[in-house]
Amino acid sequence: MRHPASRKRAWPRGRGGSRKCRCGRDGRLPLPRPRHAPLLLPAGLPVGPAPAGRRGGGGGPRDRLRPLPGARARHVLPRVRELPAPRLPAGRAAAAHVRRAGHLGQILGNVSEFQRVVNVLQEGVDFNIDVNASVFETNIRVVGGLLSAHLLSKKAGVEVEAGWPCSGPLLRMAEEAARKLLPAFQTPTGMPYGTVNLLHGVNPGETPVTCTAGIGTFIVEFATLSHLTGDPVFENVARKALKALWKNRSDIGLVGNHIDVVTAKWVAQDAGIGAGVDSYFEYLVKGAVLLHDEELMSMFLDYNKAISNYTKFEDWYLWVQMYKGTVSMPVFQSLEAYWPGLQSLIGDINNAMRTFLNYYTVWKQFGGLPEFYNIPQGYTVEKREGYPLRPELIESAMYLYRATRDPTLLELGRDAVESIEKTSKVDCGFATIKDLRDHRLDNRMESFFLAETVKYLYLLFDPDNFIHNNGSSFDVVPMPYGECILGAGGYVFNTEAHPIDPAALHCCRKQKEEQWEVQDLMREFHFLKRKRKSTFTRTAAHSRGGSQAGSADTTTESSGKGRNPEKITKRRVPLLSCPTQPFTSRLAVLGQVFLDNT
Amino acid sequence: RRRELLCGAAVVLVCALLVTLKVTCSRAKDVTMAAKAPVNFFSSRSPVFDLFRGQLDYADHIRQDSEVVLYFFYAPWCGQSIAAREEIEQVSRRLADQVLFVAINCWWNQGKCRKQKHFFYFPVIYLYHRSFGPIEYKGPMSAVYIEKFVRRVMTPLHYISSRSKLLDFLSDYEPGVLGYFEFNASPQPPGYMTFFTSALYSLKKDYLGTIRFGVITDKQIAKEISLTRSGSVYLHRHVNTSLIYPSEVMNYTAENICKWALENRETLIRWLRPHGGKSLLLNNELKKGPAFFLFIPFNPLAESHPLLDEITKVALEYNNCNKSQAAEPVPQHLRDLNPPAIESIVAHAHTQLADAYSITKYPCCNTVLLPQWHSISRTHNVCELCVNQTLGVKPSKVNVPQCNFLEIEAALDSFYLKERTFFQFVSNTIECSNFLSFYSPFSYYSACCRKVNRGLINLISSEKTILQTPNVAFSSHGKEDKDDTQHSIPHIEERNCFTPDLHVNGTNITGLSCRTNKTLNLYLLDSNLFWMYAERLGASRSNHLKEFATIVDLKEETHYILDQNQTLTKSTIENFIQNFSILYSPLKRHLVGDSSVHFHAQHVITEVTTNTFHDVVFLNEKDVLLLYYAQWCGFCASLNHIFIQLARLLPPNNFTVARIDVTRNDLPWEFMTDRLPTILFFPYKRKDKSVKFPEDFSVTLPNLLKFILHYSRLPSAALDSEPCTKECPQRERKLQEEHISHLKSEIQKLRSEVSALHQAQDQLKAQLSEARREEHKLQQQKLTLEKQHSILQLHSEQLQALYEQKNRELEEMAEKLQELADASENLLTENALLKVLVASIKGKLENKDETKKSIQSDEILPNHNTGPVLTAIDGLHERERLDISNIDSTVTEHKENRTE
Repeated sequence: MRHPASRKRAWPRGRGGSRKCRCGRDGRLPLPRPRHAPLLLPAGLPVGPAPAGRRGGGGGPRDRLRPLPGARARHVLPRVRELPAPRLPAGRAAAAHVRRAGHLGQILGNVSEFQRVVNVLQEGVDFNIDVNASVFETNIRVVGGLLSAHLLSKKAGVEVEAGWPCSGPLLRMAEEAARKLLPAFQTPTGMPYGTVNLLHGVNPGETPVTCTAGIGTFIVEFATLSHLTGDPVFENVARKALKALWKNRSDIGLVGNHIDVVTAKWVAQDAGIGAGVDSYFEYLVKGAVLLHDEELMSMFLDYNKAISNYTKFEDWYLWVQMYKGTVSMPVFQSLEAYWPGLQSLIGDINNAMRTFLNYYTVWKQFGGLPEFYNIPQGYTVEKREGYPLRPELIESAMYLYRATRDPTLLELGRDAVESIEKTSKVDCGFATIKDLRDHRLDNRMESFFLAETVKYLYLLFDPDNFIHNNGSSFDVVPMPYGECILGAGGYVFNTEAHPIDPAALHCCRKQKEEQWEVQDLMREFHFLKRKRKSTFTRTAAHSRGGSQAGSADTTTESSGKGRNPEKITKRRVPLLSCPTQPFTSRLAVLGQVFLDNT
Repeated sequence: RRRELLCGAAVVLVCALLVTLKVTCSRAKDVTMAAKAPVNFFSSRSPVFDLFRGQLDYADHIRQDSEVVLYFFYAPWCGQSIAAREEIEQVSRRLADQVLFVAINCWWNQGKCRKQKHFFYFPVIYLYHRSFGPIEYKGPMSAVYIEKFVRRVMTPLHYISSRSKLLDFLSDYEPGVLGYFEFNASPQPPGYMTFFTSALYSLKKDYLGTIRFGVITDKQIAKEISLTRSGSVYLHRHVNTSLIYPSEVMNYTAENICKWALENRETLIRWLRPHGGKSLLLNNELKKGPAFFLFIPFNPLAESHPLLDEITKVALEYNNCNKSQAAEPVPQHLRDLNPPAIESIVAHAHTQLADAYSITKYPCCNTVLLPQWHSISRTHNVCELCVNQTLGVKPSKVNVPQCNFLEIEAALDSFYLKERTFFQFVSNTIECSNFLSFYSPFSYYSACCRKVNRGLINLISSEKTILQTPNVAFSSHGKEDKDDTQHSIPHIEERNCFTPDLHVNGTNITGLSCRTNKTLNLYLLDSNLFWMYAERLGASRSNHLKEFATIVDLKEETHYILDQNQTLTKSTIENFIQNFSILYSPLKRHLVGDSSVHFHAQHVITEVTTNTFHDVVFLNEKDVLLLYYAQWCGFCASLNHIFIQLARLLPPNNFTVARIDVTRNDLPWEFMTDRLPTILFFPYKRKDKSVKFPEDFSVTLPNLLKFILHYSRLPSAALDSEPCTKECPQRERKLQEEHISHLKSEIQKLRSEVSALHQAQDQLKAQLSEARREEHKLQQQKLTLEKQHSILQLHSEQLQALYEQKNRELEEMAEKLQELADASENLLTENALLKVLVASIKGKLENKDETKKSIQSDEILPNHNTGPVLTAIDGLHERERLDISNIDSTVTEHKENRTE
């Protein structure tokens, strides 16, 4: 998603500054579809009452999400264009895509395909090749995909080695791939270059201009790597890059679109939430969720404030000048549709729904979301009227449906299925819609259609999927330092829709650290009575300590607390929490929205 | 020649191939495919005329032939259009003979429609009534609603032909506009067309069609609503005075009439029909104040709506503030009474008399004075006892005995059985409650009790006497006999009508909206379409009736619901409203709970709901740790594993780890939190002293354990100060047992770990031994290889030696050859010498010949001499030949050697 955008192309030319952003989805590659092995579709489709109904058209949308018949599988993609100056290592990227398809298989229930692909991958993948690769794309697709596959592999029935989830062949591959990216981070500011040569590091003469998303979209994968492998270098560089962006925000609290990673000068000063910036904000939130990190969350909340102050108009988000806050483009970009989903993760569901319903009207007008939609004119923008079957709106619908169970969201799902099938289905796949005004088709199918759009659509209509697990089921994995609880839900999707299990991160790092402390505490539970006197005095001391706000006793208690005592005493609302839903939320369905408390 | 031709052809072919390849390749980059050509959207059998190529001009052409036309603009990819298709077909099948249905594909970019119209959504429905139009239909995409609307367009005016129709028209809850036109004068009286158009115009304005238009042609009937002049327009209002269109002030145009009616209509009760798109409808309505939502299944096509009529009556009464204008039930009574009465009532529509006739609409009620314990006290508890028939038995429409005597008695009896409970309510509040009657499953009665001043009661009763209603004092049977205290016997008054009384003490709902400061707005929702909201407010899913009443107070963030076991009737609704309006409302905030809780698969964490909250948290004899969470909250979901771990660690006999999804389960205010996740700890035996996990601590396993340890320990500390009783050692033993079991489980775990390690060790061992074996094998291989190597070396040495030897031989051979060459050279020189010699000898011989010639005598001697010389030369030649052959043989020998 947050594909920092069909970026250089998606951006109107002649607006000053370099538009060269490599975070683009330019390296599109064919990817195999899951084969014809039947999907393990959960029985029954508890989609709730959709009043306007899913009557016509035989069979729910889910039925139509089955992969094409196997015979065709091979011809599905190769219609893709040749790669324009491939930024991705062709072979590797292909492998990554392969695994992505494998993922799809895993979530859709096609386990055997997943296993097959994992085997293919293990047989000789070599990252030591002389190829220029986009740091951003390699991270989200290759590293993210490998990590996710690594964490899902047990669920998919792959034989895992003894130290899993803290070791494994796919994890080692991910680490190897990530190490190839590290040279890009060696800049004076800590913000990475956009492109790196896998063999030689950063090419001399490489442009230092990188888009914001290309700098801030690492923390999820890199922190996961650091936690699983124990090598902190990845998380450190990712954090450093995030902090550098944070330091360079404008006085009014916004970030631009492209920055020079050497001089830290903003090259493109448009601030918004869409192309070029999108996954930066996404990763601040998801990083905070994944790592329970207050710093990331406080950054996001500050951005959020600035964004709603300067860019939000009637629940649309526009583009503004990052220093002055004046509107520069009153457009809605299809990539921006991820925002409501993100808001729902932190509990801002009312606003999310309001924005989502705006975006849905655009869908109703065209049967898809144009790359750019001019809000005042209510029509597409010249040269930006394509719809490459992007997943963002459906992704948001999935998150929001989790929160509200609003049938309107299923209606969007139905509309998406109908529209995609009616307009873009061709003999061997689903073609990009070149022009939404007349539904002309382009000779290509984007990789994210299968990797994300189909995945999110499936998850929207399958509320019982293990990905939506709310902790009612889990796996116990014995480790040398105690049992690990895995798969208890709360999966965090990276920006390429690869799910990551936060429990695995905890299992490989925190649990080791906490092990002895927990054991001691557990012993105390049972000596409660016997050593009553001594324990009492201790607890008394403890409570005294607790009452003297921020005393030495309490600060030593929690590692997270000791960091910044003054800040804590000032703070009222805990950062890592969501507000409970207001009373009106129960009536905010079927298109009804409520204004904030007046 | 031919070959050249072929070659040329081949070259040309290859070139052509390359060119085509290149062309196709370069094109492949920008190849686009036009959208698929449109196909039929409706089946050919359907009565809908499908213009799937968007021929709008053709549609306009065929529109001329039909009086009423429906245009259905769709886009073939649009899910909403596809969903609406079936509904349209259904309508078209019913109305095909009267209405022309045209479906137009307004998406195909070659079509006329797309070029002329610009829609922001699909489907769009336009209706035309002859030249008037388009009237856009904006209601729900449901066949019945569409049909109703189409029918409205077909007949925008109701023809009021008789008095009874007039009454029907006026009694409806929807505002009605009546026009009086005399048709005898001319084929069409002036202004009629304008009036007709205004009816259509109102449909355009307000898709719900909440203003109905009627036309009267009869003078007599027109008189009843005091219309005398043809062309006058009358807006009927229930609560306020009805209006006549001021044609002098405003121009008589369709727009103006419509606007006037919209501005002046009274809406006692409103339909809410959210259109599904983003809207602030509920927001705006709820912000006006507390709202009373009634969900009823509604069929717009049905002839009569009995439930709706009842609700309308309630609404009228509720809003009927001014007693003197209480003309409202008028039409209702008219229906029941004989025609002469109508005349009078209609004539004096605003007289008190109406009250006297409004009997039937009230249930039969009794005022009951409860026995006073302190007879001196100036106050009484007064209860209103009303008998309601709900199902089946309808209140009799006969005038005189409205109340069945027996029913009252039965109700009274059962009331006395419960009267004790009412003694507690000695307060100024009015409490109402409904009881099911013992005797009849179909009726129950309600009792509203309050304390009133004795004087007031006297006043009331005196009032009643004046009002000619017979006050019959019953002496309660049975009950009374047992009761010795004669003076405290309830005083029962039977009345036909309690309106005046209630007007005094305020327990009636008539005009309540003006007397309370919690004025309700009344809304209707069709539960066929919007049951979702009802479910969200706590309607049970199993309710097949789909009737639901609720009061939502946005400001207070509460809502109350009417018990779903009660059927919706006038009296239950009235009670509900009354209970809401009084000062200390007995209504309890309704807590919506999730009934469909699936328990934790592994039963580690207890899932709490609204219903089980009290049981799990308070009645549980354990320490309870309660997590407030929501599924959508990212920060909650990523803590799941920590809580599962905690629950598995804590001894289950002493601790319960529970959680509650607060988006689906309401809790009493005191237990609510405003942030998620929140962790509360309820220690055993002091459940009231719950503690919140401090927010500035990160939620980790050690922190949670410390938190629990800290707060669960306090009671034991308190116990500590007391002398140790007998329980002490018992408890300790229990604890120790638990500890032992815990340790045992730990040991078990360790054992399993050990065994796992053992396994790993075995595995390693096996691997090691295998590795060793392999090493051994490798070494052996190495040895053999070395051996082979040495052999090979030897071999190579031998070969070397052989080579050298051969070399030497060759050298020798070469030397020999050299020698031979030298020898042959010598021979050649010798040969040359010999030749020279021969030449010289020949010379000499010639000289000799010359001398011979000169000296003949010397002839014999030289002849002698040449003989041996020649032989010598011959001999030389021979030797040479031999030598050469000799060399040849050696050379061939050499060659042979080499080949060998």
